[in-house]
Amino acid sequence: MIEIKDLAKAFALSKNNKLSDTEKQDVRYSKDAFHSVRNVSFHCGEGEVLGLLGPNGAGKTTTLRMLSTALKPDAGSVLLNGVDVLKQPVKARQQIGFLSADTGLYGKLSAFENIAYFGRLHGMSEKALKQRIDELFSLLNMHDFANRRADNMSTGMKQKTAIARAVVHSPKVVILDEPTTGLDIMTVQTVLDFIKGLKAAGTPVIFSTHHLDEVASLCDRVVVIDKGVSAFSGDITQFKTLSDNGDLREAFLSVLNGTQQLQQQGAA
Amino acid sequence: MWQVYFKELTELMRDKKTLIFVILLPIFIFPVIFGVMGLVLSSTTNKAMQEQHRYVIVNATQAPQFAEALFYHKNFKQLTTEKTSQADLIAAIRNDEFDVAIVIPADFNTKRANVEQAQWQIIYNQSSQFDFMYRYFSEIVADFNEQLQRETLTQLNVDPAKLTAIIKPVDVQKVDTAAKRENIGEKFGAIIAYILIPLCLLGASYPAIDMGAGEKERGTLETLLICPISRVSIVLGKFLTVLTTGLVGALITVGSFGIWGAIIGSFAGMAVVQEAMSAIAITELVLIFSLLLPISAVFAALLLAISIYARTFKEAQNYISPLSIMIFLPLVAAMMPGVELNTKTALVPIMNVALAIKELIKGTADYMMLALIFGSTLLLAAAAIGFCVHWFQQEKVLFR
Repeated sequence: MIEIKDLAKAFALSKNNKLSDTEKQDVRYSKDAFHSVRNVSFHCGEGEVLGLLGPNGAGKTTTLRMLSTALKPDAGSVLLNGVDVLKQPVKARQQIGFLSADTGLYGKLSAFENIAYFGRLHGMSEKALKQRIDELFSLLNMHDFANRRADNMSTGMKQKTAIARAVVHSPKVVILDEPTTGLDIMTVQTVLDFIKGLKAAGTPVIFSTHHLDEVASLCDRVVVIDKGVSAFSGDITQFKTLSDNGDLREAFLSVLNGTQQLQQQGAA
Repeated sequence: MWQVYFKELTELMRDKKTLIFVILLPIFIFPVIFGVMGLVLSSTTNKAMQEQHRYVIVNATQAPQFAEALFYHKNFKQLTTEKTSQADLIAAIRNDEFDVAIVIPADFNTKRANVEQAQWQIIYNQSSQFDFMYRYFSEIVADFNEQLQRETLTQLNVDPAKLTAIIKPVDVQKVDTAAKRENIGEKFGAIIAYILIPLCLLGASYPAIDMGAGEKERGTLETLLICPISRVSIVLGKFLTVLTTGLVGALITVGSFGIWGAIIGSFAGMAVVQEAMSAIAITELVLIFSLLLPISAVFAALLLAISIYARTFKEAQNYISPLSIMIFLPLVAAMMPGVELNTKTALVPIMNVALAIKELIKGTADYMMLALIFGSTLLLAAAAIGFCVHWFQQEKVLFR
């Protein structure tokens, strides 16, 4: 279970930084800070897949970084299966499987070595690690390039390796930041099947994406973040009702338009 | 921490750039450079020493003993000329007719008889890098002068037994208290420190950049940060890897420097190189290594802190370049004449280690002073590591 409440994060701006006209009108900019996430709340239960949507620069990655303990929130709380990430970050990290937007592999290490390294950092024994890696190689069709160095892998191979690395320690919560971006159709299908497998195993999964067809086929819940706030948070059925014909694209755009109107009213 | 350390080492060992900078460069390039320099220097010197200089003497009949001494010297070859004026002689030398002209005044013997000083001239091109010709000439003139002095004094009825004391009233006998090793150490000690200390930095630079800015650029840092290990362990793992490469680079350099020095010395007859190498005992090498350890730790921590701050590999390289230049200031200061190791210089970072290495090679090291340097550098290293750990926990640094 993932529970996020009133999450906020600002980044200090350089003293010499001059705001552009567009930035001056953006509610996220103050004189000395950029409020990347202002107020984000949502929850994701066991066996649920939550799709995190939002335009580029909306605050999705910052939100996911706070969830994963890479960044400390300025305000709000994040509970992962009852563990407060602010108070017990190390315990929270044991439960998280995180795939960042960058594939982020060590080029001189093979697929096996990349995954094993992170398994060891999670305190796995060599025997359990070998078994688990073998299992993941089968699930993600990775046996063919198990010993290939990351520098010599294709984008799809790298992404599969990165996903296997993120879940090698069998995390109780999985966070995936744009896991299918830039992949071919076959690899996308493998990744989506893998996420379905996690869901079937009762693991809550949060994944950010720009592909609404993936949201339609996978997600139980949807959160739309726009200008640092959770503009929509609810189940997929509620989300579909935001459009006349249940079209996700229209629903998404209606949420964004609603945020814009609110902002304009606020400015007026 | 050890997981991070061994993983980083594995990656570095597979990286061609690391192998080149840390292992191949110290093994081959530096000794080759020194070897080539030594061979060129040695061959040029030998050539200059064996060169035969073509000479002419104007008014040779005025000083037949001198002319004879010059004639039988293996480095001089006599030619004859009709030219007597200075301008003609200079023009002849420029036209490569001969190399040197010695002009003895036509009234030399008259002046001698009147016990007057005579002015001789030696005309030659002094632009040669190794001016052995003038040295040989001066030696012959000195002998000739003494011979004339003896003849004159004998004519003046001076007691022959007292001639030596009159000609050379003061004879200085040099008693050198410095052992041969001390002399060699004084000459080579500072140079060895000048090579070793920057190599500790050079060897550590590339791995440090790769493990900080490189990790950011590849996008692996974020994944590492959310592993259930403390950031202190991550930093220390990386720090130890950087330190290891710096020290391995320095150790390989010392080893290869010694081996290549001995080989080149024995083949090229460079006895001074052989002597320098044989003067350094294992104990000194261990102590040098002990001093390099904390200063390498300082470098490793600083390099890693800079690298973690940088957003990209290139940015890190730009930040590290001034540091590389800055370490040469105390090294150059340590090479200055008159700069000795004392309680003040023992507290100046880098300079203290350079001076201590010099003292160790000379065999005159004060162990209390070495302990002071080791302690002060260790404290500095601890502060640098502390800063690096603190730096690594700053979001504004990690997510710039």
